[in-house]
Amino acid sequence: MSLRSYIITRIILALPMIFILLAVIFFILRIIPGDPVLAILGGKAPIEVIQQKRHELGLDKPVIVQFFDYIRGVITGNLGTSTLTNRSVFEELKDRFPATLELTIFSFLIVLVIGLFWGAESAWRKDEGLDIVARVYSLLLYAIPVFWFGLILQLIFASYLRWLPVGGRISAVTNFKIVTGLYVLDALLSKDWRGLLDVLRYLTLPSITLGLVISSVFLRMVRNNTVLMLSKDFVKAARARGLRKKIVLYGHAVRNAFVPIFTIMGMEFAALLAGAILTETTFSWPGIGSYLVMKIRYRDFPAIQGTIVFFALFIVVISIIIDIVNALVDPRVRY
Amino acid sequence: MVKNKSFLSERIGEFVRDLTGSGTGRLTIVGSSILIFFIVLAIFAPYIAPYDPTEKVGLSLEPPSRQFWFGTDNLGRDILSRVIYGSRIALSISFMGVAIAFLIGVPLGLFSGYLGGWVDRILTLIMDAMYIFPGLVLAIAIAAVLGPGVINISLSIAVVYAPTYFRIIRNQVASVKSELYVEAARALGAKNWEILLKYIFPNVLPSVVVVLSMNLADALMTEAGLSFLGLGIAPPTPDWGFDLSSGQRFVLSRAWWGILFPGLAIVFAALGFSMFSEGINELLNPTIRERR
Repeated sequence: MSLRSYIITRIILALPMIFILLAVIFFILRIIPGDPVLAILGGKAPIEVIQQKRHELGLDKPVIVQFFDYIRGVITGNLGTSTLTNRSVFEELKDRFPATLELTIFSFLIVLVIGLFWGAESAWRKDEGLDIVARVYSLLLYAIPVFWFGLILQLIFASYLRWLPVGGRISAVTNFKIVTGLYVLDALLSKDWRGLLDVLRYLTLPSITLGLVISSVFLRMVRNNTVLMLSKDFVKAARARGLRKKIVLYGHAVRNAFVPIFTIMGMEFAALLAGAILTETTFSWPGIGSYLVMKIRYRDFPAIQGTIVFFALFIVVISIIIDIVNALVDPRVRY
Repeated sequence: MVKNKSFLSERIGEFVRDLTGSGTGRLTIVGSSILIFFIVLAIFAPYIAPYDPTEKVGLSLEPPSRQFWFGTDNLGRDILSRVIYGSRIALSISFMGVAIAFLIGVPLGLFSGYLGGWVDRILTLIMDAMYIFPGLVLAIAIAAVLGPGVINISLSIAVVYAPTYFRIIRNQVASVKSELYVEAARALGAKNWEILLKYIFPNVLPSVVVVLSMNLADALMTEAGLSFLGLGIAPPTPDWGFDLSSGQRFVLSRAWWGILFPGLAIVFAALGFSMFSEGINELLNPTIRERR
């Protein structure tokens, strides 16, 4: 199969998955809770108000019609209207998405650096000091809730040492042109070095928090898969030929462990998004995660549903990208 | 998982040897001691806790002292007592969540794998869709519509983990059902439910035992996350995650005790669960041990 037809097949195969995901979300949010209108207005609202609201939200139509209305909405990019702000949920999410993206990208970089290098090195020196530290590290960080880790870092670096801000994304005094919404990129584009420093200071604690916590699983997976590869014949042959460690480890072992590692990376990205919800709440980071939590507090159901749909679509897109990159790296995947 | 055809007694014997001998055995022992510690805390909380966890017993935000070992929170409640009582919610929700997930996922997986056909295909698609969804997001969605409460939170956690059981059991059943002993049973005139319950179920059950213990740690963390976001148990019931979110408001006042202790409780309990499950996993799957 050529790469292009693989990509096309992969995208077509994702469509039923998206449909099922949307159906599951609809089922959970619409059918199980009974009556979202009562949840919004409370039990004591007069009957006319309840009916009015029900009509507004389209809840007086049969469930199946509602379902197709909703599917049509998602396809056309209409995720409903927030009952709290009366703004389009899609627009609100679009405003907040860059913040979440920036946080996840930086955390992911931390995950990659720690996971790949430490993982590979501890596979090389299996059962030695570095490897044992890595095992303790990943067991320990696996058991640390991401929000608690964030709180502890806040306590140390923001409250006691006062090196870094306790939360938020940018100081009130910093002012550069927002183009992409990714502040680091925007500061670079407008060559505002002070602004860049400011933005990075705000980014440091949240991305370290999220990155370190997520790195624990990744580190383990890289290590275990590299250990497996190091015992293979082609690695022994490479060593026997007297190649340098760097080439044997990264050029042979890690490279061949890349397909499972990359697949895990995709799963880790999902975990990263989930972790972002908690991290954003801890650091008052104005992204999609804190948006979801705020909307839940006000029982804004269209916004909650829209956000969950957004998360679902994002995950599917990531998994498609992962598969395509896998196919690029390893032609065997295509067949 | 490697097929282990030895008798149960042999396996238990090996288990005990492993438990007392190797390094992994120590992991299991440490893990289960931590678990037992928290279970004892939860059951005997009224006898262990020095104060009523929901009563104002001191000043607001008192640092740790001889009177209040873990300090007091902003409402003057004893944090030590709240941490002790908090183990009740944490343990009961994680056990219940995992149990419900097991009760949903395993029967569905059994039927789906055994029946095959379009029922199997549709169920698999739905479960796969739920499986790729980030667990916490799914749990948040369900908890948001169900509202607070022990049962509701357990249910939201159960929905996250049910697909795991479904997938494992379904795949195992699908491969086991063409084995010789199943065909022999059928030839002897066993009915479908007999084959499913007496022949297939006991053979696929061990594969989920490990997952069961692994999920406990995850469920505990998910519960803490949900209640940190304000989706857990209604206050004033002591709950680690919720106490952390109220402690967060005093980060800048340097009231570290309100953050440190409830968090440590979560970490220790989660460590206990995951060490226990890791140990069990390695004891049951010797292949993993060799890879280390």
